[in-house]
Amino acid sequence: MERSGYKSEIPIFEFHGGIHPEEHKLESNQTPIQEMTIPKQLVINLKGQAGNRSIPVVNVGDKVLKGQVIAESDGIFSTFQHAPTSGIVVAIEKRPIAHPSGLDDLCVVIETDGKDQWIELFPKKNILELERAEMLAHICESGIVGLGGASFPTHIKLKRESGIDTLIINAAECEPYITCDDRLLQERATDVLKGAQIISHLYDDIKIIVGVEDNKPNAIDALVDARKQLEMDTVKIAVVPTKYPSGGEKQLIQLLTGKEVPHGGLPADLGLVMHNVATCVAIYEAFEFGKPLISRVVTLTGEACKKPGNYEVPFGTPVEHLMSFCNATNPGVLVMGGPMMGFELPNHKVGIVKATNCIIMAAPKELKHDHIALPCIRCGACMDACPASLLPQQLYWHAKADEFEKAEEYDLFDCIECGACAYVCPSDIPLVQYYRYAKSTIRNQKVEKTKADKARLRHEARQERLERVKREKAEKHRKAAEARRKAAEAAGEDDAKKAAVAAALARVKAKKAQQDDSETDNKANDQKDTDA
Amino acid sequence: MSLISSPFAKKPTSVTELMLWVVFATLPGLFALVYFFGFGVIINLILACTTALGTEALILKVRQRPVLPILFDGSAFVTAWLLALALPPLLPWWMTVVGVAFATVFAKHVYGGLGNNLFNPAMVGYVLLLISFPLEMTSWLPPAELAQNPVGFIDALSYIFTGTSMGGEPITAARLGVDGFTMATPLDHVKTELAQGYRLAEIETHAVISGLSGSGWQWVNIGFLAGGLFLMFRKVIGWQIPAGVLLGMVTMSFVLFAGNSDHFLSPSFHLFAGATMLGAFFIATDPVTASTTPKGRWIFGLGIGVITVIIRTFGGYPDAIAFAVLLMNMTVPMLDYYTKPKVYGHKVKRQQGDTDAH
Repeated sequence: MERSGYKSEIPIFEFHGGIHPEEHKLESNQTPIQEMTIPKQLVINLKGQAGNRSIPVVNVGDKVLKGQVIAESDGIFSTFQHAPTSGIVVAIEKRPIAHPSGLDDLCVVIETDGKDQWIELFPKKNILELERAEMLAHICESGIVGLGGASFPTHIKLKRESGIDTLIINAAECEPYITCDDRLLQERATDVLKGAQIISHLYDDIKIIVGVEDNKPNAIDALVDARKQLEMDTVKIAVVPTKYPSGGEKQLIQLLTGKEVPHGGLPADLGLVMHNVATCVAIYEAFEFGKPLISRVVTLTGEACKKPGNYEVPFGTPVEHLMSFCNATNPGVLVMGGPMMGFELPNHKVGIVKATNCIIMAAPKELKHDHIALPCIRCGACMDACPASLLPQQLYWHAKADEFEKAEEYDLFDCIECGACAYVCPSDIPLVQYYRYAKSTIRNQKVEKTKADKARLRHEARQERLERVKREKAEKHRKAAEARRKAAEAAGEDDAKKAAVAAALARVKAKKAQQDDSETDNKANDQKDTDA
Repeated sequence: MSLISSPFAKKPTSVTELMLWVVFATLPGLFALVYFFGFGVIINLILACTTALGTEALILKVRQRPVLPILFDGSAFVTAWLLALALPPLLPWWMTVVGVAFATVFAKHVYGGLGNNLFNPAMVGYVLLLISFPLEMTSWLPPAELAQNPVGFIDALSYIFTGTSMGGEPITAARLGVDGFTMATPLDHVKTELAQGYRLAEIETHAVISGLSGSGWQWVNIGFLAGGLFLMFRKVIGWQIPAGVLLGMVTMSFVLFAGNSDHFLSPSFHLFAGATMLGAFFIATDPVTASTTPKGRWIFGLGIGVITVIIRTFGGYPDAIAFAVLLMNMTVPMLDYYTKPKVYGHKVKRQQGDTDAH
């Protein structure tokens, strides 16, 4: 593929490993972004972003307008969702969702009316007058999440203010096949930079760097023009060599700064915050036009796709609608995301979500290979390809043997699941699957262990309580006996009869008291046990 | 539902392909061997490979594994190929068969087959033969230019299968040099002569020692060096192990040579003698049994180089690569454990027991 001759404006560092898979970008990056037709039904998944499920605020039968809020953030770690077009809510129920598990989840189904009628929008162009919190709230209420693929709620990523000195715009788009960011830059580089400018208002003083792979020459030219036009001279354009996974957050940071995000830390610990180009455009539109995030650019490609290209697709559009639009009959594999980190869609009816950057409609043999996995010969090709400098061969060995502690010792959780190892493996071992398996098992074990620990603590507390009750009873008996003895002594010998009666009474009283006590105790204990 | 999982893209390099590259890269060395030591080498190769494939198929059947896909991974073939290249040219046929079968069954499948063995199978086979049949295993032919009775293909076949030539001559006849003495390999020759009290300078005048490291042998080594560099260039093997072996060998032999050049061979002699290049580029680099980390590979190679010189100099056997490789194979689990590279985002290399919570 053509490489840009544009020289990077900042020095570029290296990251370990990486691979050069076939790029497959030309299939989809040759035509301008087009509007996707609106399907009859939109299936909007309430867990369509990283974090928690959004809370629906519409009911079945409600008429909704384009841009109207249909689900709100749970206030912690989720986002707002809006109706992508006007229509009627016909169902709020569990439907298959775009997730590798193939599980069902709660979806809002909208029967579209074809009028595409907007709700009234409230732009916020007066950014300089806005408080930081107001800006973040507006971003949250506009439903903006990271559009690079992970769909992390953007307002959370922007929350931290102190110590942030650099905003990196991630335009590396290193996955093969995907070109939505490339096209967006080619056509709307000014909007991207305007979005970046809005983000920069959230911070006192922040540098802006755009990190872009050199296989997007037109995008780079567009960026240079846009910067000139907007007079944003301080924006630096960092051109990195094409290598997968340059677009990984940690890898791009290493490429542009030479620094590594500390283990267990965040880019913010290095003073960095990173956003994808499409996220910048979404932020720009949210402030400039008051437009919530209701659609995104999705790359439709693959050999089975007869109209490959990039399309502005409303969220919730069923994949089968996209397939019929592209005359993709019978694709061999249907992948959401790129070929390296995407997943095979189990169902054609699922609606696209905010994380959907690409749908590959692959021909039967395009992405499937029928080699059987041979034994690992420890050749180390995976180690040489690993961008995290892990030892994938050892991780595989331990994951396969269920030696999870060993796998953790080899830093299993630093694996970013980029798939570079499995790509180069001459034995065709599905390495990433082993790591996912090991990770999920370890997580489950930790949950189980916490549960077991809690149960043990509860049991120990109960034992202690029973012991205490026993001790208290013994003490009571002792006191009662004492009282009897004292009474007898006080009564003297002449009144022995009276004393005998008193003692008998005391005994009865003590017994009764004891019975009552144990009953209440038992009741209390039962109650406590049920509570626990 | 049979969903496949990412990555969907795949680089089309297979284990079989890697194995074939290895075989291909031995060709220059092989040509040199055939040129100097006759067709026995080829007969050994055919014998060894047939045995290996047969044994592998049989044992896969016994272990109830899919025979064909594993047979064609090429690993058994490569083991036999490399072992055969290390065998004396006229070794009796059944010894070759025993060595290869033992390597396949005991050094490989007893551990669980390809990828699971701790010891280099070819070298296990070689060492079994060396300690069982020391005479036959050290009986090399004189190089072509020094041979009194050059051995043709038919004669070689006859020697290997019957022990005598077609004309009924005993094998000792084939081993006579032009001067009428029985030939030993240069390393063997030096060792025996030194034991007799000769100084190195005197020994070096003998015909068998001529050239860098002995007549014929230097060319064999140059052949394997060329093939090995090609493998390195193709990235079939890493550079750390061969570099380590050669550096270890040069360092160790230099220390001895600098101390007493009358008694100890020079580094350059060691480099081109015996199985040095075959060992450094083809044997020690077996990925299954070598260390797998970059730093570990360095240490692994250095160890082999140093041990080889020690055994060649002070040990009972003339060549020592096989022993050195097996000894270093034993250290691999430990090497791998203590040479983990620094992982992205970690300040320093993780030490043992340092398991911070995730």
